[in-house]
Amino acid sequence: MLLTLIVLLPFLGSVCAALLPANARNAESWLSGVVTVACMALVASLYPQVADGEVVRAIIPWLPQYGLTFYLRMDGYAWLFAMLVSLMGALVVLYARYYMSPEDPVPRFFSFLLAFMGAMLGIVLSGNLIQLVVFWELTSLTSFMLIAYWYHRPDARRGARMAMTVTVAGGLCLLLGALMLGEIVGSYDLDEVLAAGNGIREHPWYTPVLVLVLLGALTKSAQFPFHFWLPHAMAAPTPVSAYLHSAAMVKAGVFLLARLWPVLAGTDEWFWIVCSAGASTLLLGAFCATFQRDMKGVLAYSTISHLGLITLLLGMNTPLALVAAVFHMMNHATFKASLFMATGIVDHETGTRDLKKLCGLRYRMPVTATVAIVAASAMAGVPLLNGFLSKEMFFEESIIAGSESGLRFTLPAVATLAGVFSVAYSVRFIHQVFFGPPAEDLPRRPQEPTRGMIVPSALLVAACLLVGILPSRTVGPLLETSMRSILGPDLPAYRLAVWHGFTVPFYMSLVALTGGVALYVLLCFRKKTMVPTPLLSRLDAKRAFDVINVAIVRGAGRLARFLFSRRLQTQLLLIVLLALGVAVLPFLVTEWTRGDMPLTPPDPLFALLWIVGAACAIGAALQAKFHRLAALIMLGGAGLVTCLTFAWFSAPDLALTQIAVEVVTIVLFLLGLRWLPRRLAFDTVDRQTLRARARRTRDAIIAVTSGIGIAALSFAALTRPRQSRLAAFFFDRSVEEAGGRNVVNVILVDFRGFDTLGEITVVGIVALIVYALLRRFRPAPESIGVPRAQRDDVLQGALPERLDDPLPRGYMKIPAVLLALALPLVRVCLFCLLLPGPR
Amino acid sequence: MASETTLTWATVAPAIAEIYLAIAVCVLLLVDVFYGEKRRGLTPTLTLAALALGALLTAQFGAVTERVTLFNGMFVADELGHFLKLAGFVFVGFALLYSRTYLEQREILKGEYYVLALTALLGIFVMVSAASLLTMYIGVELLALSVYAMVAFDRDSGIAAESAMKYFVLGSIASGALLYGMSIVYGVTGTLSLDELAGQLRGELSAGVILGLVFIVVAVAFKLGAVPFHMWLPDVYHGAPTSVTLFIGTAPKIAYFALALRLLAEGLQGAVAEWSQMLAALAVLTLVVGNVVAIVQSNLKRMLAYSTISNVGFIVLGFVAGTPEGYSAALYYTLVYVLMSLGTFGVILLASRKGFEADELDHYKGLHARDPMLAFVMMVLMFSTAGIPPFVGFWAKLRIIQELWATSHPWLILIAIVMSVVGAFYYLRVVKLMYFDPPGELPATERNTGARVALGLNAAAVVLLGLLPGPLLDLCARLLH
Repeated sequence: MLLTLIVLLPFLGSVCAALLPANARNAESWLSGVVTVACMALVASLYPQVADGEVVRAIIPWLPQYGLTFYLRMDGYAWLFAMLVSLMGALVVLYARYYMSPEDPVPRFFSFLLAFMGAMLGIVLSGNLIQLVVFWELTSLTSFMLIAYWYHRPDARRGARMAMTVTVAGGLCLLLGALMLGEIVGSYDLDEVLAAGNGIREHPWYTPVLVLVLLGALTKSAQFPFHFWLPHAMAAPTPVSAYLHSAAMVKAGVFLLARLWPVLAGTDEWFWIVCSAGASTLLLGAFCATFQRDMKGVLAYSTISHLGLITLLLGMNTPLALVAAVFHMMNHATFKASLFMATGIVDHETGTRDLKKLCGLRYRMPVTATVAIVAASAMAGVPLLNGFLSKEMFFEESIIAGSESGLRFTLPAVATLAGVFSVAYSVRFIHQVFFGPPAEDLPRRPQEPTRGMIVPSALLVAACLLVGILPSRTVGPLLETSMRSILGPDLPAYRLAVWHGFTVPFYMSLVALTGGVALYVLLCFRKKTMVPTPLLSRLDAKRAFDVINVAIVRGAGRLARFLFSRRLQTQLLLIVLLALGVAVLPFLVTEWTRGDMPLTPPDPLFALLWIVGAACAIGAALQAKFHRLAALIMLGGAGLVTCLTFAWFSAPDLALTQIAVEVVTIVLFLLGLRWLPRRLAFDTVDRQTLRARARRTRDAIIAVTSGIGIAALSFAALTRPRQSRLAAFFFDRSVEEAGGRNVVNVILVDFRGFDTLGEITVVGIVALIVYALLRRFRPAPESIGVPRAQRDDVLQGALPERLDDPLPRGYMKIPAVLLALALPLVRVCLFCLLLPGPR
Repeated sequence: MASETTLTWATVAPAIAEIYLAIAVCVLLLVDVFYGEKRRGLTPTLTLAALALGALLTAQFGAVTERVTLFNGMFVADELGHFLKLAGFVFVGFALLYSRTYLEQREILKGEYYVLALTALLGIFVMVSAASLLTMYIGVELLALSVYAMVAFDRDSGIAAESAMKYFVLGSIASGALLYGMSIVYGVTGTLSLDELAGQLRGELSAGVILGLVFIVVAVAFKLGAVPFHMWLPDVYHGAPTSVTLFIGTAPKIAYFALALRLLAEGLQGAVAEWSQMLAALAVLTLVVGNVVAIVQSNLKRMLAYSTISNVGFIVLGFVAGTPEGYSAALYYTLVYVLMSLGTFGVILLASRKGFEADELDHYKGLHARDPMLAFVMMVLMFSTAGIPPFVGFWAKLRIIQELWATSHPWLILIAIVMSVVGAFYYLRVVKLMYFDPPGELPATERNTGARVALGLNAAAVVLLGLLPGPLLDLCARLLH
């Protein structure tokens, strides 16, 4: 339960922090401080159990049916990271209290910071791969919010978006990798996954899984070629950089690699991919860091380089290298966070982070200078500091791994070269900022910061020293516990000690130290000539990112224009063509056949009738755009031919119904005509161009083809025997159940009585509509003008003022008389029709 | 036939939702004729009450314990249908609640709008419960005709009229295709009943059935808005009044899911190999075009239209799997998607004012500064739609991918994931605009409390279902086991 609380507490704190008022800086920091310290205490309280080699577990059923439980597990390795995350969290909160200015809206900051911490603890303690990915993406989200904290600055927005895009995309790859791993193992449970190492390595999916997981981890840890987001993320407030970009978020990638080390490592693929990514990042980062102008830029590239070092170690496939990697993760987090904090102090007190402007701060800020110097020495790998220990281990491993893989000289050389650069940028960082004559033209007058800002940094530096001098007493047991949980009880023989004797690694360190100082001196002489990073200044991955970005947007625009037209004609054309295309598909497999029914002998008169009907239909289609009335008349003609066809084939009732429908439709159309807007004038010249003709011909061909296709289908269907179960049903039952011999009448009145009622209703509604249209019908002025009797009335009172009033008597006299004459006749006819009835 | 069936309560009760709704439509229409002009708010209020009552009645009397076929094989009642109808009541209720102020300000708060919404809902129900090709067709047409009229509802708007016209013409072609496919299938098999159809279509399929199937798939793709039958969707989403866009973007999706499920997965089960191939091709096109083209849109409604298209791609992918689990993933996706787009369009409605349609992306610049609540809700919805955990949209995507995995479609998974990443790009752009861009001179947002509470509930549902996805996932799995 304690474990759940560890993950839950920061999120609860985050919600509380978001609810506090905008200027409650102290309350916010107290709240966050309490939460982080509580987390730390909870983590610490679990150490005895973990140290015994026990795995602390908390399982809450979440989605059991899909093999997902909310499963937290803490072994030694997870403990180490959980401790790191919560300890750093506490220090950063303390630091941020004094760093953030009173104008900054702090609730957002602390709320996202705590949420980030919760997500990070979630990653570290997840016992389930899917859950890990969920927390993983959550860190991307919260880091987006934190980097873009000062969202009024365009660089912050850009940096945040870039970091988010890269890490979220990596997270999705990781998700896919996790899904595949789960599929291979049969469970997403971390325990089971870790136990299935051989099965995974021998599985045919191993390489894709490896690539996907690596994509996730390398993007998160800013490894080449995905390293470009990290320097841009430096637009974040410095506490965020200290936390996310040294201790927590960027470590998630290497954390995961070490977590899955027993499962994925040990193959050639792993060695080549991970080592080459690590080595290139190591060199590239160290090289770029040497030439940065911004203090945070130096630290960002140095972080990239150190993460490359860790990745390289992880790729070496030996347990000893793994130990070195985990050890360096811890060391790097301590000295880098402390350096970030020192940078923040300098920035806060002087108002600039530009290495060109800063100078001689040691006079004004002696304490900060001391702290920064020690931390930077740890970064450079000076003896008696923690960085030295892990760097020694790294050098040693590079020799061993190099000799095993046929890179006997390459790997150690790469390691030493990186060491040289690392020393050079550390020296430069310290020398430019703190030494030399005091700078004059700084935006603010520097002074020593408040104690709250220096204490977290100093504490971290003290840790560097302690670990560096007494490694086996301080960090030794922790490292051992954590390594046991990854490698099992048989740990490789490693010795944490300051002095190993005059070994090759020691000489390599010596070369690195002297070489680094020499390189810096050399650079100082040529300072004027080299401002941007030599060789690489044009090769900016950020530009590639932007170019890809723009290319995607442009491509999408092109696709949109290509695929979309607002013209109905084009849309229709596409749909008809597609329908035609898919309709042809089945006939590629089988062929079209007509049925075996004999054909009725052709009758020339009927053929003529249909030719007339078809001509009318085509004419209506042609004229619809130019002459509405003509089109309507021809439409009526086509309808009439349909009626006659029914009558021809002895279906008078259908013919009657059809003619009624036709008449009503045409009447409605005619009434509606006058509400249509005026036709647009067409440019006849336009219709004569070759292009227009070609278009029309194309459309005609498509229309005719579609028509022929439908006709062919009907022909095929009509020449096959009918399955008329329905007719037989009605013939059998009409006498027996309804007592009528006229089957059609029986159907209408008895079997389908409800349908008939519905049809009558429809006719009634149509009649109402006709009435409504007629009631508001206003004849054209010239047609009213002619009858003298009406001319006077038109002016006054003949037509009602308001539309709802009834028409005056005598209006529309002629139709009324006609109707009066016709009605009795109609009644007689109807009565005659009614008499025979269904029976 | 009539003599063989007797109408008893037990044979009618499962159709209570439809019967009740048909009566309610008539009553509301009459009420509106006589009182609509005098008391503007009456019909809207009564409609909401009618929906609530309908949901209650359906929940109380409409439940069935097992699948039963009623009304001479025309109507099927099962747990899935019952649940979807309840969901339909709720979704339409929310949609109408969000729309009211919007309609009022544009002076189109008329009874017809609400009646049309209810007839559309009736169409949805008929589709959900269709057990025969004919019933399905009637449902499709009822829904489509109501929606065409709704799109053209703002009669003074030229763009709305244009969209309605296009929608109508293209929709008629799709209906034609559906009818054509159905009649070919009927011609070959001699039955309209979906159950009998499923029984008859086994083994080798004749060319006739495949031809019919092709047309049915075309119609389903058109209704869903799958590429290349998607042309109408951006135009209609863009041109229709936002409240109508909200309506068509939500509840009808349930119906189209039912259309695909009942026709393809149940009726034409025997042709699963054929149609799942067709759907796979459609899904790939849909995902790619929907996501990529959405990037360049500057109009939010149009962007969301393309987002709908891309989400439809995911729903179609669920069908591609061709297993009950796949359908349940598609159902889950549909429900989740409807829930999210309900909220998204709700935000647009609340951000609009009289004379100001908040439909351009630029209108959302600095929304956080002007209205933190709306911005927050929108952010949650955008994250969720992008499929970022822990929001519910993530689980929806995950379920689809899992099912594709289980049926071994690695390429489709790859495309789905790549396209999700592309999708995240434009959803996050909205968040960026709201949170990081300076607010311009834009009118204040709408302060309707009722709609705001509903929107809050909506967003809370997105978050809660994301944190506790179990119950709904279970339900979907049970409904389609």
